[in-house]
Amino acid sequence: MSAADSHTGTTVLVVEDDPHLAAGVVENLRAEGYTVQSVGDGQQALEWLRTQQCALILLDVMLPSLDGFTVCRTLREQGNNTPVLFLTARGDPADRVRGLESGGDDYLAKPFHLRELLLRVRAILRRWDWYRSASATPASAVLRFGGNEVDFRAFRAQSWNGVPQELTEKEAMILKVLAERPGEIVSREDLLERVWGYDVFPSTRTVDNFILRLRKRFERDPANPRHFLTVWGVGYRFLIEEET
Amino acid sequence: MRSTRVFQLTALALVAVSAVQVAYWVVNQRSYAIEKVQAARTLYSQQVAAAQQLLTAGVDGQRVHQLLPGVVVESGRASLAPTVDRMLLTEEHRRINQYVWEGGFFLLALAACITVIGRALRAEARVLQEQDSFLALVSHQFKTPLASLQLSLETMALRPLSAEQSGALIDRMLADLARMEAMVTQILESVRLERGRVDLRREPIEIAGAIARVTSNLEERASRERIVISCDVPRGVHVLADPLAIDVVLRNLLENAIAAVTPVGGGTIRIEARRTNEEVEVTVRDSGVGFRPDDDMRLFEKFTRLHPGGGSSYFGTGLGLFIVRRLMQLAGGRVSAHSEGLGRGAQFVLAWPAAPAEGV
Repeated sequence: MSAADSHTGTTVLVVEDDPHLAAGVVENLRAEGYTVQSVGDGQQALEWLRTQQCALILLDVMLPSLDGFTVCRTLREQGNNTPVLFLTARGDPADRVRGLESGGDDYLAKPFHLRELLLRVRAILRRWDWYRSASATPASAVLRFGGNEVDFRAFRAQSWNGVPQELTEKEAMILKVLAERPGEIVSREDLLERVWGYDVFPSTRTVDNFILRLRKRFERDPANPRHFLTVWGVGYRFLIEEET
Repeated sequence: MRSTRVFQLTALALVAVSAVQVAYWVVNQRSYAIEKVQAARTLYSQQVAAAQQLLTAGVDGQRVHQLLPGVVVESGRASLAPTVDRMLLTEEHRRINQYVWEGGFFLLALAACITVIGRALRAEARVLQEQDSFLALVSHQFKTPLASLQLSLETMALRPLSAEQSGALIDRMLADLARMEAMVTQILESVRLERGRVDLRREPIEIAGAIARVTSNLEERASRERIVISCDVPRGVHVLADPLAIDVVLRNLLENAIAAVTPVGGGTIRIEARRTNEEVEVTVRDSGVGFRPDDDMRLFEKFTRLHPGGGSSYFGTGLGLFIVRRLMQLAGGRVSAHSEGLGRGAQFVLAWPAAPAEGV
């Protein structure tokens, strides 16, 4: 694998208590051109993140003092949206779901393949690069539709009835993908690919669930959506102006 | 396993139904007895009434008593003979007593059955659960060194490495293999101990020699983790123990101490021994992470890992101290742990029966 293209100098935080595994991951990420910081437990990770920033966190689940799920949830509650890739020896589906529910972006079971790890790291960073650059200008950072206002950079919104909304990263990303192509049909697979980028979820049903959540937040009548329209058998169509 | 469970559950249900039956039988028989005695009393009162009528009709009292022996006539009035009344009362008590005792005995026996079957079921459930958690834990424990091995090998396959880098990776892989081997040893030891398949010898062993043998094997690892192991053990003190078991006990205890000191960035492990009247006590003090004083018993239970990952580059199966306690029990000795609290070090005391003083 060649030295990492646009990610050279990008900081990655590795939280892993096994020194051998941590050393192996750190060495490989450094060889790819990333700047890597490594800590051995959840508490240290939270402390480091209080003062420093990084583009991605590789987070072990079974950690001394504070487990990885709790670390991730704590970060999200503090409003820290740094993407998280879970690394864990517990690879069963229930744990995967727990990881993603706690706000993780991806999940890799130990023992993993080095190439897969590097690919996933890249894929997550690429998705976030896209999201950030697509929200970089004042015009693209804010989306207004049907009385709702979404701030993509702050992951916050205000719905038509004045209720403030905290968006999860996935909700914001889905909204971003849809808003980039108003009026066009976006397939579920397309959304999965752009937002999750990998085979994290077994089905496209997940996308449907997220759309339901968005409707609940932003539609006046979620049962009769005017903005997030289902195109049966294909995907979704997002309308900025209500269809009459 | 499944069919046994079905059998046990069926037996439990049958026994429970029988218990209910017996209880019903006791209640039923009691009211039956009361009913019968009551019926007899009614009959007798009819006799008394008939006797009264005979008396009124002018029949002689003597004659009436002859006709109706259960009735006595006193100054022209008929009444139930006191002997009959007593007999009815006694009969009622005797029957009720009999049913209560018999029923009670059967109920007790059935309750004992229910307890035995219930306990067996619970014990079995616990064993199954333990086996499950054992498998889950063991496979989880193996995944970390496996992941590390795979990562090292794939790194070598993916990148051109300098001789120095390759050397470091090879060392890491050898250490991963060593830790997997140590895990396998611990698991086998604990399974063997649990099934009681051990035949420990009892022979005099010089404790200073045993300690020196084990510490010399751990010295390198300890110094790598900046841990100083010091010994203050008098020569010539003998314990009665199994030579292999004593090594396993000391090794597990010292590895536990190293695992406790490593996370705090190094420190000391002090080993002392002294002979009391009947025993030889070996004390291992470390300046490591310590534990909550309440955890001093839990520490020796299977799969207790108070500091997951605290073992730094080493394994932690949660079996080491379990093995120590079991082996000490089998050797007729004892082991105890003490700590002032987290971060304040720990102290383990091992005690073996002293060997009869030879040459002292």
